[in-house]
Amino acid sequence: MKIPSVSLLLATCVLVFSGCNRGDPAAVGTGAGVAGQPTVALVVKTLNNPFFIEMQRGAEEAAKKAGVNLIVQAADREVDVERQMQIIENLIERKVDALCIAPSGSREIVPVIVKANRANIPVLIVDTRADEQALAAAGGKIATFIGSDNFDGGRLAGAFIVEKLGGKGNVAVLEGIAGHETGDARLRGFKEAVAKAPGIKVVASQPANWERDQGYNVFQNILQANPSIDALFACNDLMALGAVEAIGAAGKSGKILVVGFDAQPEARAAIQKGTMAATVAQFPARMGAIAVENAARLLRGETIETFSPVSIELIK
Amino acid sequence: MSKPDQPATRDDASDRAKPRGASAGGAQPAVTRSGNAAGSRWPRLFAHSARQLGTFGGLIGLGLVLWILTPHFLTVSNLLNIAQQTSINAIIAVGLTFVIINGGIDLSVGSIVAFSGVVMASLLERAVPVPIAVLAGLGAGSLCGLINGVLISFGRLPPFIATLGMMSVARGGALLYSDGRPISGFGEGFRWLATGEVAWIPVPILLMIAVYVVAHFVLRRTPFGRYVFAIGGNEEAALLSGVPVRRYKTLVYGASGLLSGLAAVVLTARLNSAQPIAGISYELDAIAATVIGGTSLMGGQGSVVGTLIGALIMGVLRNGLNLLGVSSFVQQLVIGAVIILAVLMDMTFKRPKR
Repeated sequence: MKIPSVSLLLATCVLVFSGCNRGDPAAVGTGAGVAGQPTVALVVKTLNNPFFIEMQRGAEEAAKKAGVNLIVQAADREVDVERQMQIIENLIERKVDALCIAPSGSREIVPVIVKANRANIPVLIVDTRADEQALAAAGGKIATFIGSDNFDGGRLAGAFIVEKLGGKGNVAVLEGIAGHETGDARLRGFKEAVAKAPGIKVVASQPANWERDQGYNVFQNILQANPSIDALFACNDLMALGAVEAIGAAGKSGKILVVGFDAQPEARAAIQKGTMAATVAQFPARMGAIAVENAARLLRGETIETFSPVSIELIK
Repeated sequence: MSKPDQPATRDDASDRAKPRGASAGGAQPAVTRSGNAAGSRWPRLFAHSARQLGTFGGLIGLGLVLWILTPHFLTVSNLLNIAQQTSINAIIAVGLTFVIINGGIDLSVGSIVAFSGVVMASLLERAVPVPIAVLAGLGAGSLCGLINGVLISFGRLPPFIATLGMMSVARGGALLYSDGRPISGFGEGFRWLATGEVAWIPVPILLMIAVYVVAHFVLRRTPFGRYVFAIGGNEEAALLSGVPVRRYKTLVYGASGLLSGLAAVVLTARLNSAQPIAGISYELDAIAATVIGGTSLMGGQGSVVGTLIGALIMGVLRNGLNLLGVSSFVQQLVIGAVIILAVLMDMTFKRPKR
């Protein structure tokens, strides 16, 4: 009695879900997809961050035009490097024709790139670079990197703050997850820009792990310790938006210059409202599109550039 | 059948699972229970393996469906792939199975994975010989686990609270120790623990199998195992029967910490990197595998074989849904539904019989 029930249950689950997914227009090219077309997989860090949802949208449009089937997958949490590795291993087993990856960890992605190399599946890296030293040490190869120069973005933000403050003031920084190449590059760029102005003091620099609620809490604490902060640079918009709430709660709305990164719609709205001063725009949809286009060209036997820069600009 | 003045055997222990909270006279209802549970051990043994057969049937059924839906599922390389992906969760889940049978819970395993990982990695970075670094990692895990155990058995903290505290302490320790940064890039000797093969079988799979064979033996064939069941079934009765309850409870949490340390070894070798933020929510995956495998959260009942099947079901589900290209959101939903339904069925099928 019990035996068939449990089996039946699991079987039904899989049938129902794989079935309902087929009919779902949002899931491009799942299952078999259009026969005869090559299949490209895009594995992003997480699909609950608007940045990667935009990237997915761009990739889906490009896939339609380029005539490839597209699978988009991601771990539940941005920090889950092991789960991302599992997803990619499974896609290698599925024998996709090309892999576009936005690595959750610059170094942690290397072993699975090597696995893809061994299976002769070309790897295109998007948004966050794979660590070049680690890649070289493991003998791994990637076809191309598509992304913005985060260092430049950080420098743009830093120069803007220096200019707005007239070269003098106390600045706080909200960092992403420690050890992530994307955040580190933004931070390096930012610090280089503010180092040029001796009157600018970075009084606090703390990680808020890319998250909005942590941005709120961490900045609230920073404000407690340093009430005289003039400007904040947050390494992404989610943390900046969290900090904006904390500033509002402290009754200092508009008195602190907040600069974010990513130019998400909500951040653009905050700039309109005056609660944020600026954000650095990246174009994730374009990144997704270029990744898929390049993958398609590669599969047609064309050669592609090893680096496709995607422009970056300050929105204020 | 079961006498209060003798150490409880395994089967007695599972009998005692039901009359919980019966205090000083706790042995009394236990005797009655064995009486109407059918007198002999056979029906009970059968019931036990029926549950495992049910779970195993689920795994096979799942496999069959995936085999029909995608040609990529039933290949040797994919099956090895699944076993490898399952190994980390499966190793942690053994520890949780012991803890849960023992009537407790361990929420700190994921943080202990991160802590043991960075301790070991920092030693590897300083060119300490691999075996010593690995032993240090295992030691760090065991130490955290033993602290849990001491807090629970000697400090009388509820397991939920003690391990919740350790979850934060070990995570903080890992972040502090590593300065928040991942430590990566190890020698081939160490990486062999994840990339190596013995007789075409990847090392993590062999480690997982070894852990399960040992754990099964310990749980079913040693006094330690009997005491784990006895304490989980009815702690008061176990105490009155002369079981050194505190010592064994401490050891159980120590074992859970040790296995988290082993999982950290496999994870670190696999990613070629130890992250202080590794292992977040691993405790939930391990609890899920344990529960799907038929171990009762009330304590006193369960098996490691069930847990292995539970972990494999989760691994196969995730793998299969990836192969089918099902969206990540749906995957979470399916796994949650499977956990709920598996336990729900357990309950409905058990209730009328007893």
